[in-house]
Amino acid sequence: MLIGQSGFAFWNPIVWVIAFVVVMAIAFVFRSRGQKNYKKDTAQTKIFLSGEEVPEAEERHVRAGNVYWGFFETLKGYYSVILRPHTGIINDYIIWFIAIIAVIAIIIFIAGVV
Amino acid sequence: MIIAIPLLAAFLTPLIGRISGKARNTFVITSLAFVGFLVIILARDIFLNGLHVYTLGATEPIPAGYMVPIRIMLEVDSLSIFMGIITATISLIAVIYSFSFMKGETGHNRFYTLLLLLVAGMFGMEFTGDMFNLFVFLEIASISGAALVAFRIRFADSPEGGFKYIVISAISALMVLFAIGLFYAQYNLLNIGALAQAMQYTMLDKMALAILIAAFAIKLGTVPMHMWLPDTYSVAPASITAMLLVASQASMYALFRICFTLYGVTLNLATVGWIVIVLGLLSMFIGVTMAIRQTDLKRLIAYNCVCESGFILLGLGVGLAVLGNPGALATYGTMAISGGIFHMINHALFEGLLFLVAGAIFYRIGTRNLNEMGGLGHLMKFTSILFLLGALASSGIPPFNGFASKILIYESVYQFNPILAIIGILVSILTLAVFMKAFFSAFTGPVLPKYKAVREVPKSMMIGMATLAVIIVLFGLFPGLVREWLTDPAANALINQGAYIEGIMGVVP
Repeated sequence: MLIGQSGFAFWNPIVWVIAFVVVMAIAFVFRSRGQKNYKKDTAQTKIFLSGEEVPEAEERHVRAGNVYWGFFETLKGYYSVILRPHTGIINDYIIWFIAIIAVIAIIIFIAGVV
Repeated sequence: MIIAIPLLAAFLTPLIGRISGKARNTFVITSLAFVGFLVIILARDIFLNGLHVYTLGATEPIPAGYMVPIRIMLEVDSLSIFMGIITATISLIAVIYSFSFMKGETGHNRFYTLLLLLVAGMFGMEFTGDMFNLFVFLEIASISGAALVAFRIRFADSPEGGFKYIVISAISALMVLFAIGLFYAQYNLLNIGALAQAMQYTMLDKMALAILIAAFAIKLGTVPMHMWLPDTYSVAPASITAMLLVASQASMYALFRICFTLYGVTLNLATVGWIVIVLGLLSMFIGVTMAIRQTDLKRLIAYNCVCESGFILLGLGVGLAVLGNPGALATYGTMAISGGIFHMINHALFEGLLFLVAGAIFYRIGTRNLNEMGGLGHLMKFTSILFLLGALASSGIPPFNGFASKILIYESVYQFNPILAIIGILVSILTLAVFMKAFFSAFTGPVLPKYKAVREVPKSMMIGMATLAVIIVLFGLFPGLVREWLTDPAANALINQGAYIEGIMGVVP
């Protein structure tokens, strides 16, 4: 079934799924041609960190707080502004509500009737 | 019946619960399944025969000798029943999920009573043809919702979440009542159809419109009135969070019913359309940028809810802005509305799934903190696949349902203003980044020693999550059918103000 035929895009999920399956099949063929004669449970299957000792599982995993560090560092200015209203105080939330009623009312009054 | 059954069942539940817990659970699930069955029958009938008007205590909407409707009325068109389908589906799944999820808690009788009241409130909001009853059902849904948020009182943050929800709900409901008072003072009317016919767009009507837009916008967590939403959604039981999402959508339905049906063409369409669009854009961008910062899994998903609501507002806002322009409406306006409505059901499905998965993780490891998670994909394979599926759907990745509705929104919005579509695509990319962070932190990496004993959640929770996942995939693979049977009729019902008015006032001699 097709949707979105406005001239700007075309979408058929069944065609997409078929294409996806074909691509996956090709990937599987490549994978199946890979090296199989490694020895399990030997050094060949262990993590290698340039000869350094491999840390414990808890230390190896990158925690959520460290993900996208660069992104947050770059947008530090934006976040300092955007985090300010998120006080967790219900009084502040209500002030925003009243302010928005006022803003919408002013816009509607100024814009008038078409 | 669809409203009456959950309402009646709510009062019977504690009585049956005194006999046995199993009997109560069977009663609750049977009631909701029967309601779901009735919703399907009604949906089929509306699709074939058009909208239905129910007058309580009479056969005719307008009594003999009267020019206006005075009784309580329910008016169900394609949009109302579309909302009813969402409510019935999510409620049923939430109850199935709750059987295991709430096992460790006490007060099950009260829990299911409140849950059924919430369901009755949501159906009432969606089916009512009367402004005052909209307020009454909004209150029923709000009070029961707040009690459910605070239900797990053993957690310190639950009562706080419930308190925030009731304060926000009470104040927004109070403002809705004030706006209804403005209508009643001018027109002596409460019926939506009759009010729409009488609407003069006076100064008081404009004031009422501003109040109603803000009152329903805060209930659906629109930026900059969204701060309560993560505070509340993150602390509610997972199944209730999924239902609160639908309750927010009921408020969104009320917002659009007011803009399109109550005010309709008397409205300053471009202005109000742009107000909705701007609120949508703010919700999208601030929602996603706040989501990406979160380390609490449920808060992350809650902020993403704010973002996805923005997409719906964007689609419907564009439709509203061009409602008075038949050419633009036919070219892309209807598609924008249809895309927005399609995204409503998709939003309920994939965010519902993500909340249930977050609940499943909490059920097993007792934390929502992503910093404390890792390697759960090795232990909860099924849950991790479902999370990935929900995340991809939410990010608009093909072939899932989120993509089907988002492409409709992008295409139509692009023709209205290309910048809006570009922002939409950017936000979708950021959404993918949000969920990749969550998936990476929770499910990938080595198994953490403290979680070595973790296993998959009980079957009833699995069934709830898997059902949502199946619907997500089916909606993604067959979007044309969804459009044809659900969203296009709902969009047409929203646009066709005359048909809604005629449903009540057409019988005036």
